[in-house]
Amino acid sequence: MAEALEERLARYLAAKLDAPDLTVHALSRIPGGASRETYRFRARHGGSERKLILRRDPPASLIETERATEFRAYQAFFKLGLPVPEPIALELDGTALERPFFIMAEIEDAQAGSILAPDPYGAHRDKVGRQFWNILGTIAGADPQALGLSDFDGAKSCGDCWRHEVARWEKVVDEDEAEPQPIVRGAIAWLKQNPPPPAQKIAVVHGDYRSGNFLVDGSGGIRAILDWEMAHLGDPLEDLGWALDPLWAHHDPSHPAGTLARGDAIRIWEETSGLKADPEALSWWEIFASVKGCAIWISAAQEYATRRNDDPVNAFSGWYCLSFHNQVLANRLEALA
Amino acid sequence: MKPEASDILDISAGQLMGLIPSLSASYQQSATAVHALLIKFAAREYERGAEIRAAENADIRTLLAELAPEATAPEDTSLAISALNAVNAELRRRLIALHAQADAATNKRIWRLLKDMAARRAVPLF
Repeated sequence: MAEALEERLARYLAAKLDAPDLTVHALSRIPGGASRETYRFRARHGGSERKLILRRDPPASLIETERATEFRAYQAFFKLGLPVPEPIALELDGTALERPFFIMAEIEDAQAGSILAPDPYGAHRDKVGRQFWNILGTIAGADPQALGLSDFDGAKSCGDCWRHEVARWEKVVDEDEAEPQPIVRGAIAWLKQNPPPPAQKIAVVHGDYRSGNFLVDGSGGIRAILDWEMAHLGDPLEDLGWALDPLWAHHDPSHPAGTLARGDAIRIWEETSGLKADPEALSWWEIFASVKGCAIWISAAQEYATRRNDDPVNAFSGWYCLSFHNQVLANRLEALA
Repeated sequence: MKPEASDILDISAGQLMGLIPSLSASYQQSATAVHALLIKFAAREYERGAEIRAAENADIRTLLAELAPEATAPEDTSLAISALNAVNAELRRRLIALHAQADAATNKRIWRLLKDMAARRAVPLF
C-alpha cells in the first residue's frame, strides 16, 4: 500500500513540478491527528533532495474540514512570517492519490509535545510559552483582509461570532451523539442564555491552537504552528479560550499549555494582539471551548464506533477527552448555578 | 474466572507497550501506545462499568421521582451493560428535558447531579 502510494506521489509531483526525473523515497506514516493521514517523504530530482509532508484526507474525517482552508491559512501566515511549514501543493480532487491532499515542507529536528506528558517543554517552558502566547496574539491581531482570508467561513459581524460558533458545534452534537449528553446540552443552554459581549474585531481564528499542535526544537524555539484545518473568522477570544483549556494544560491548569502562569500568558496575548481579554467574555469563551471539545470528541467517538475511521485516537478522544471535558463543564457550571 | 478479564487486559496493555521500541515507524509506535492506553481503560471499565451505570441510573431516577413525579422512570432489569445503557439513555433524555425547563433551584440541583455523574465517569490516566 505504502509502495503504491509512493509511486503515485512521485508521478503526481513529477508532473506538478515539471520534473520528470523526480522520485519519492522513504515514505512513512507519522502521527498527525485523526482528521488527516500524515506522511513524511523525500523527493529527489536534479541532484537535490527535499523533505516533505503529505496530508491526505482519511476515508472519513473526524470533523468535516476544508483542506483548502488549511492550505490557504498556511500560505497566508507563511507570507506573514509566522512559523508555519511552507505550503507546496494542494489537490482537491481524488484523482492522483484517491483522496484530496496537500503537500508542505517538513520541519526538521522539531517535535510536538504530547498532551499526556506532565512537563513537555522542560527547561524551555518559559521560552516556549513566551513564543506560544505571542504567536497567538499575532494571529489575533492580524487583519483577515490583508491576509487574503476575508472569505473564510465564519461570523460576518462582531455580534454574531458567539452565535455562529455555538450553532456550528451544536449541529455536530445533534448529528453525531450516540447517546444523550446532558452536560453538553446544559452547557449549550447556558451559553445561549449568557451570551458574551460582541467581539472586539473579526479575526482569523486558528481553531485548534494548543499545546501539541506546534513543533518545538531542542533549544525551545517554536518552529511551526500546525493543524489549521478548523481556521475560520470569528472572535479572537475563541482561540485564547481554547488555548487556555485545562485539557491542554498538562495536568496543571495554572500553567495553560504547559507553559507560563495564566496571568502572564494572557498579558502577552494582550500586548501582542492589542486586544483586551475581558475576564467575563474570556470565561464565556473558555466554557465554549469545552463545549466545542465535547462536540469534537462526540464526533470522534461516532467515527470510531461506526468504523468509518478506526484510528485509535478517535476512541481515545471519545473516551478520555469527552470524560475530561464533561468534568470541566460540570464543575464550572455547577459553580455558576 | 481467574484470571479476570481485567487482568488479561492489563497484562496485554503492558505487553503492547513493551513492543513499541521494536516498531520502526513512528505512526505504528504512536498508534500502539494509544491502543495500550485504551486497553487499560477497558480493564477498568470491565471492573467498574456496571456499577457506574447502575449508580448513575439510580441517582437520576431519584431526582426525577422528586422533581418530575408525574412520569415513572424506567427501572434497571438487568446488569448487562447494554441493558443499563438503554435505561441510562432514557433517563438522560428525561433529565435533559427537565433541565431545559428548570427554575433556578432545580437548575442547581441538576448541575450538582451532573457534576457527580461526571466525576463518577472520570477516566484516570495513570
